[in-house]
Amino acid sequence: MHALRPLPNRSPNRSAYLVLAVAAVPLAFLATMLVLPALRLLLEGQAGFNQPLWTALWQDDYLQGRLAWSVLQAAVSCALVLALGLPVAWVLARFEFAGRSWVLRLLMLPFVMPTLVAALGVLALWGPRGVWAQWLGVDAQGTPWLLLYGNVFFNLCLLVRAGVDGLMQVSASQLAAARSLGASPWRAFWRVEWPAAKPWLASALCLVFLYCFSGFGLALILGGQKYGTLEVEIYTLVAYELKLAEASVLAFVCMAITAAAALAYTLQEQRLSLPMPVDAIALRKPVGLAQQAWLMLALGILACVCVAPIAAIAFKVAHASGAAWFVLIEDNTLHALWNTVRFSVMAVALATVLGLAHALAARRSLWLRAAAFLPFVVSPVAIAFGLLLLYPRWSASLPLLIAAYALLAYPFIAKSLSSALDSLPAHWLHAAATLGASPWRCFWRITWPLIQPALRRGVGFAAAACLGEFAVSLFLSRPEWATLTTLIYQHLGRPGAANLEAAWVLSSLLMGLALLAFVLLDQSCPNRPLEPHHARS
Amino acid sequence: MLEVKQLCKTITPSTKGTPAPARVLAHNLSLRVAPGQVMAILGPSGCGKSTLLKIIAGLEPFDSGSVCFNSIDLARTPPHKRGFALMFQNFALFPHLDVLGNVAFGLIERGLSQRSARQRALDMLHRFGLAATAAQKVWTLSGGEQQRAALARALITEPHLLLLDEPFSALDAHLRVQLRQEFSQHIAQAGIPTVLVTHDEQEARAMAGSGFRLQNGQLTRLW
Repeated sequence: MHALRPLPNRSPNRSAYLVLAVAAVPLAFLATMLVLPALRLLLEGQAGFNQPLWTALWQDDYLQGRLAWSVLQAAVSCALVLALGLPVAWVLARFEFAGRSWVLRLLMLPFVMPTLVAALGVLALWGPRGVWAQWLGVDAQGTPWLLLYGNVFFNLCLLVRAGVDGLMQVSASQLAAARSLGASPWRAFWRVEWPAAKPWLASALCLVFLYCFSGFGLALILGGQKYGTLEVEIYTLVAYELKLAEASVLAFVCMAITAAAALAYTLQEQRLSLPMPVDAIALRKPVGLAQQAWLMLALGILACVCVAPIAAIAFKVAHASGAAWFVLIEDNTLHALWNTVRFSVMAVALATVLGLAHALAARRSLWLRAAAFLPFVVSPVAIAFGLLLLYPRWSASLPLLIAAYALLAYPFIAKSLSSALDSLPAHWLHAAATLGASPWRCFWRITWPLIQPALRRGVGFAAAACLGEFAVSLFLSRPEWATLTTLIYQHLGRPGAANLEAAWVLSSLLMGLALLAFVLLDQSCPNRPLEPHHARS
Repeated sequence: MLEVKQLCKTITPSTKGTPAPARVLAHNLSLRVAPGQVMAILGPSGCGKSTLLKIIAGLEPFDSGSVCFNSIDLARTPPHKRGFALMFQNFALFPHLDVLGNVAFGLIERGLSQRSARQRALDMLHRFGLAATAAQKVWTLSGGEQQRAALARALITEPHLLLLDEPFSALDAHLRVQLRQEFSQHIAQAGIPTVLVTHDEQEARAMAGSGFRLQNGQLTRLW
């Protein structure tokens, strides 16, 4: 037996200092890349306040219309997503059917889909040269439908996943009790399942509103002149009209609304920390016509909303003229591909360090944890605009571009790791400590291996986000730093069918790249939890 | 010899919104475990039995009093330097390691090379009848096998003190009786002082030479 070794005196606050030191890295980064630029942006608007700019802007019917449309399209998208997503979530939470695991994987697809690819998918389906225009003569160009459809494509899966999680909270005994007390299946849903799922759905809807309101790429390409949102207006004011003060006032309004949505999301999230029920409702095969119809409806919704735009791109690419394929070997494309990959690799490396530091430091601090969401709250356009104002000398520098990419990517890693660290049972670390592992060794031998799947998943999302990044690239990059997204946008801005076909071919390349990155990073199988009820006895 | 003197521990349950009254888990609680002795602590759920074990292991802070081992006050000795082994109710086997890796874990932390640690762990697994499962992931084991693996992991480091937190509660009645006898033999062979926490008096009497009930922060001798 080895002898006991009492430790020398040490400060009880040592671990607190260590946490502070770790937290300082992401906090300093957030302050430099997000908070200060946002403040600078507000200051620009404040300068305009003295010249009754605010009053003038808000008496402008055009801008009032833009604001109203920005809010309306986000609200309508939320309603559509809820109406379509709830039946899908219920079917996935209750029914076992062939291909269910594939459907669950499919729900990840929009999360890794670059905005431009989604926009092109919608155009390939509903645009003037789209599949429906070709087959049925239906062209949705110039209608609000294009943007709403794009919003639903991007956000339906978010709500479905939240709905499945919420419905999983209902225990079999709760439902059985309701049925035995005389509730019909519909009444049991309404009085037992819906209340359980409601907070989860509300939380997801806050995020959907946030994304739809502050989204840039979809609104820029699908909204057109008539249905562009405030974010597009800000971009136009900065990039084409050089009206910085006006743009900053609009950016301030956008930030206020997204902050309200983010606050609502945070308040809802706090209500979600319920334990999973012990007697979860077992999945069952759909029996009878009605249940089969529900299943078909759910699969139909997913096919029409999530699969159709991607299938439309595939169709368009397959039917593109031979000349369109030559875009893949053009110097511009190869250069853009190289830029996309190298920027993404550099940004993901930085984001990994930041995300890991943030997640580790935020384990016991709700405020620090909430800070990781700041890059989601402030739109990429506002971030890029603020950076331009605050660091004019650095506006076309590679470090700033990479840092901006990393800023948008690292919350994915921080969020993924925070969830993994939360779900790490304390008894494993306690067991390791009593077996002689120091805190550092506990981290290295227990925590680190166990958070690997979450790290890889977070890095996968971050890589997909970087590969498809559009708004920041548009603001901060030089012409020679064109990425695949900006190249696609350039092709879209040029007239002619050949350019549109080239854009479709390039978007399929970008989609493949984002999927490849995600699949490569996310293919690890998570470690199985080990609790007594999982053991064979 | 383990000596816990005048230990006090009060917790305030943190429930959102509604203030909850403080609960006294230990009030001037003292106990002594002599070398080779197996002591059982009984009590209802939530009385503080597991917390007491965690305090002894150094995993949980306390308000006042002292925890000494061989007359050394352990107040400044962190858990990984105490040389105690705590066996958890749910075994706490590491899911990313195989059975051999789990059992070798403590030896590697004590500075043994991977090779000799794994060799000794394999010998230990032979003693516990688990050699065939050495390369398996721990979640593939049955409840009884997990239990044995957890005890092997605890005993291989030759701890100064063994702390057992409801070690049989996750098992069915038949396996519980069988493993209770096995455990008693292994612990007696090792001669390690042991504190067993359980709510099952029959189990406690079968395994421990002395038994106490923990209630309202005080220990009362049962046998």
